[in-house]
Amino acid sequence: MSRYDTQDIIYALATPWGRSGLAVIRISGEGCRASLSPFFSSPTALIEAKNATLVHGYLLDEGNARIDEVVLAINTRGHGYTMEEAIEISCHGSIAVIQAILSLLGRIGMRSAEAGEFTFRAFIHGRLDLTQAEAVEELISSVSQSSRSLSLSRLEGRLRERIDELKESLLTLLAAVEVQLDYSEDELDEFVFPRHALATLIESIGSLADTYQIGRLYKSGAKVVLAGSTNVGKSSLFNLLLKEERSIVSPYRGTTRDYIEADLEVGGIPIRLYDTAGLRESEDLVEQEGIVRTERLIGEADLIIYLVDSTDLGHIPAEDGRTLVVYNKSDLVRPAADTLAISAQSGEGVDRLLKAVEDRLKRSLPDIGEGDLVIEGERQWRLLEGAKGALVRALELSDSVDVLDVVAVELAEALTNLGELTGEVRSDDILDRIFSGFCVGK
Amino acid sequence: MDYDAIVVGGGHAGIEASLALARIGFSTLLVTQRLDTIGALSCNPAIGGLSKGNMVREIDALGGEMAHLIDRSMIQFRILNRRRGPAVQAPRAQADKFTYNRLAKETLEAQANLALFMDTVVDLTLDREQKRYQGIVTERGHHISSRVLVLTTGTFMEGKIFIGEWETPAGRLGEQAAIGLGTALRAKGFPVGRMKTGTPSRVRRSSIDFSAVEVQEGDRVMAPFSFDYTSVDRPSEDCYITWTNEETHRIIRENIGRSPLYGGKISGIGPRYCPSIEDKVVRFPERDRHQIFIEPEGIGTQEMYLNGVSSSLPEDVQHAFIHSIRGLEDAEIMRPGYAVEYDYIDPLSLYPSLESKLVDGLFIAGQTNGTSGYEEAACQGLIAGINAAQKLKGEKPLVLGRNEAYTGVLIDDLVTVGTKEPYRMFTSRAEYRLNLRHDSADQRLTRKGWEVGLQRDEQLTRLEEKLDRIEAVKDLLAARSWREKNALAALKMPEITIDVLKETVEGLSDFDEPTLYQVELDVKYAGYIDRQQRQVDRFERLEAMEIDPRFDYDTVEGLSSEGREKLKVVRPFSVGQASRIGGVRNSDVAILIVHLRRGGGRV
Ligand SMILES: Cc1cc2nc3c(=O)[nH]c(=O)nc-3n(C[C@H](O)[C@H](O)[C@H](O)COP(=O)(O)OP(=O)(O)OC[C@H]3O[C@@H](n4cnc5c(N)ncnc54)[C@H](O)[C@@H]3O)c2cc1C
Ligand SMILES: Nc1nc2c(ncn2[C@@H]2O[C@H](COP(=O)(O)OP(=O)(O)OP(=O)(O)O)[C@@H](O)[C@H]2O)c(=O)[nH]1
Ligand SMILES: [Mg+2]
Repeated sequence: MSRYDTQDIIYALATPWGRSGLAVIRISGEGCRASLSPFFSSPTALIEAKNATLVHGYLLDEGNARIDEVVLAINTRGHGYTMEEAIEISCHGSIAVIQAILSLLGRIGMRSAEAGEFTFRAFIHGRLDLTQAEAVEELISSVSQSSRSLSLSRLEGRLRERIDELKESLLTLLAAVEVQLDYSEDELDEFVFPRHALATLIESIGSLADTYQIGRLYKSGAKVVLAGSTNVGKSSLFNLLLKEERSIVSPYRGTTRDYIEADLEVGGIPIRLYDTAGLRESEDLVEQEGIVRTERLIGEADLIIYLVDSTDLGHIPAEDGRTLVVYNKSDLVRPAADTLAISAQSGEGVDRLLKAVEDRLKRSLPDIGEGDLVIEGERQWRLLEGAKGALVRALELSDSVDVLDVVAVELAEALTNLGELTGEVRSDDILDRIFSGFCVGK
Repeated sequence: MDYDAIVVGGGHAGIEASLALARIGFSTLLVTQRLDTIGALSCNPAIGGLSKGNMVREIDALGGEMAHLIDRSMIQFRILNRRRGPAVQAPRAQADKFTYNRLAKETLEAQANLALFMDTVVDLTLDREQKRYQGIVTERGHHISSRVLVLTTGTFMEGKIFIGEWETPAGRLGEQAAIGLGTALRAKGFPVGRMKTGTPSRVRRSSIDFSAVEVQEGDRVMAPFSFDYTSVDRPSEDCYITWTNEETHRIIRENIGRSPLYGGKISGIGPRYCPSIEDKVVRFPERDRHQIFIEPEGIGTQEMYLNGVSSSLPEDVQHAFIHSIRGLEDAEIMRPGYAVEYDYIDPLSLYPSLESKLVDGLFIAGQTNGTSGYEEAACQGLIAGINAAQKLKGEKPLVLGRNEAYTGVLIDDLVTVGTKEPYRMFTSRAEYRLNLRHDSADQRLTRKGWEVGLQRDEQLTRLEEKLDRIEAVKDLLAARSWREKNALAALKMPEITIDVLKETVEGLSDFDEPTLYQVELDVKYAGYIDRQQRQVDRFERLEAMEIDPRFDYDTVEGLSSEGREKLKVVRPFSVGQASRIGGVRNSDVAILIVHLRRGGGRV
């Protein structure tokens, strides 16, 4: 029932993952400003902000490093959608930034909201008009479906089966420990902690959790930024990839002043592609602002395609996991052998470029085969990670048999996490397992 | 009105209920079938064990009697699961049955306000609407009235004993069943069902070959269950261990058709956790042996209890299989094992106070509520007695939380989820067992016992002194160091025990063992206790949202139809309890919360 607890501070991403320049993360719950203030560059402004005002600043991590520049919209208690103290964070839309912020919120004691939970709170606090009983019923049934098994509806078929399997193994393991606690030593056979089974389980849960990144990528897409000096052919490549004349191409340097974005798909991965203003020293205020925006996009990108003009090399950045250096205008100058060369005019080498982009995006991801299960939701991932964390602690603890009682606490926590994915486990289920699996009782 | 309160049944539940009522100050009558078997240990001659030992100490902390009875009759003491971690350790003692049951009777006899009367209750009288309890009717025709009644009939209500093909109406071998009451209650509309349990045979000590069995000794230091004293001085007897074998199993398998259970004579449901030997052999065919503990039934008696081979097979089969067991080849069986089937009343028909929802003023406790075990019975008897007294005083019932006591877990399970088999306590039933350690029962419950008028001021003072000592030890440790480290911080390390610190930290050995032990656990488990506390806080918020049991669920719009029906059956005391009812959805709970917030929960 914990999910109907309205005392927790909850948060959720309100905009689609990585799909927009701007993302909005909502936080609701008494004390949320005080919780967030140590991680905000102007803590006093945040705490003292009046209802319906905006506060500008930076979100900081525990080491005071900037995570992102943000605007916070404040609602004090009794206002806003949920009628609770609330914050709306507007931040940059890159997946990396969103992840970093969500993860910070989790670490500082807030909880990822259940589907419908903001609405539920609005409902609880009388924000919604409840005079019409029908409307109440409708609302409630939508809240309940999503919360009792938020994931049930989403966790269709095989994924659900898989999690049920994991839960089964965990239940068996927990029963093996619980029987040791429910019966005395001399009533039972010599106990050997099922270390191997636990390690295997940790691995299985871990690899399922790791598929989250794949799921996320396929579902939410990646942000790919075309960058480089002026006149290197960024806009030409942009148009070529989109197969339409979206961006203005000209022989003059500094043609593109502000970024342009468009969607496409590479190897099944949805991509938001950005054409940006070329990087150079400039006196022009408008161009300067354009360059600032380019730099910001580079900061947020999942992948940067850094274009270099083969006829006029200039600055060449170092390649890293996030940066792909590409030599354009290969029709004019033959680039060095081991470089990635294309011609945005003839289209030569573009297929190789696309393959490289796909590989790069998938490189950091775990291997999965055709038709393998993939976790898509942040909440599912968080619960699996939570289960794994508890099991890892249990494994460490289990090395000293003295503390079987706390090992059981960790195993139970893991089971609760899995239970939240596919329906809870009652203590009766554990006893059933004990009675059917062990010959106990005098 | 003849009495303020009547208690039916002098078993473990009835003892606690009648003592509680009389001690709180109400004139009480205990009616039981036989005065000589008050407090009889029907089955195992032992009290305590995992989670059950905790319950005995809970009973003591609230002001009950069970701990005193076992402390004065124990003949072996052990702390179980020393190696499994403190949260699940518990004391267990072998009892001298005869001493136990004599002490029980003497305690009742010595109690002011308490009358004892030997008779069998066959019916209850109710008011014209059949809604209020008024009095009892006995077998010999007495009509006795009281304002409240506590019913604790154990295995006796329409009890029937089976040994193979043989059967007889009885509650224990040689003791008449209480015939009539079950039928009368059925007719009044109570949800009465059948359950069964069993007991093994007792053999003659002098016929056992002790050279062929293992010895199991008790702990060298015996410790009391009661918080009222710090040591016990009792004789310590050995127990013994032997094993069944393939031959034993073959004999049982070949005769399985003659078991009343497998032959279909018994319809009641038996406990899976306490299977008969025939059950074990059938359900675990791959096991080639099962353990048997041979336990003395008392000092001066020849009877030895064969823990592990409960059976209702015919006596010739019992003879044959027992004689196939090592050390028991020539064992002389003094009492055979048997199964007993009896009436119980579905505990879903009770409020968490253990008062019946059907009849005002009627409280039910013990095996009658579908439980099994002495400790389970005693803690319910105590709570029923306390709440009957609260009712007489016009005060709110005492309901213990799942985070406060195993007793709370037990009663909540019974009245919220019900039970399909005889219910026994297990540590795994408790979500917050780190909080339910046996050594902390006084901290959890003494004050509650005092509030309802069972504990005296001195016990409260004693508790406060203990808490002060615990703080003093913590302060001392915080102020001292151990090898360049703060002593309190050092204690957090797994390998550093309080005993280690005692060697160097001056002043520590001035404190008593229980205090030091508590500090050690508090410090070592702090991280886990904190984590559990956060869960408890959440849990408590829902528990704190009270619902009036008479609340009319039909007036709430939007409840699911199944949820509504279940809520109407269980009639929970709180939103927390409502959330544990099977069939009540989250959305139902949400609607309830909203309703209560808007002031709709009161009638
Ligand atoms: C054969 C057998 C096997 C058992 N096996 C186990 C086991 O394996 N594990 C376990 O944990 N527990 C076992 N027990 C259970 C344990 O004995 C009980 O749980 C415990 O004693 C219950 O206490 P109680 O107070 O509810 O009832 P009891 O101890 O049964 O006491 C009931 C008392 O009420 C009296 N009484 C009943 N009806 C009336 C009436 N109408 N009028 C007047 N007096 C009445 C009876 O005479 C009796 O004295 C077993 C009991 C028996 C008999
Ligand atoms: N020969 C040849 N010319 C190219 C190629 N790619 C781009 N050009 C030309 O280079 C010039 C600049 O191209 P753009 O696409 O506008 O360059 P840009 O990088 O977007 O420039 P800015 O927007 O000014 O930063 C145009 O005249 C293009 O036609 C290529 O692969 N080969
Ligand atoms: Mg351009």
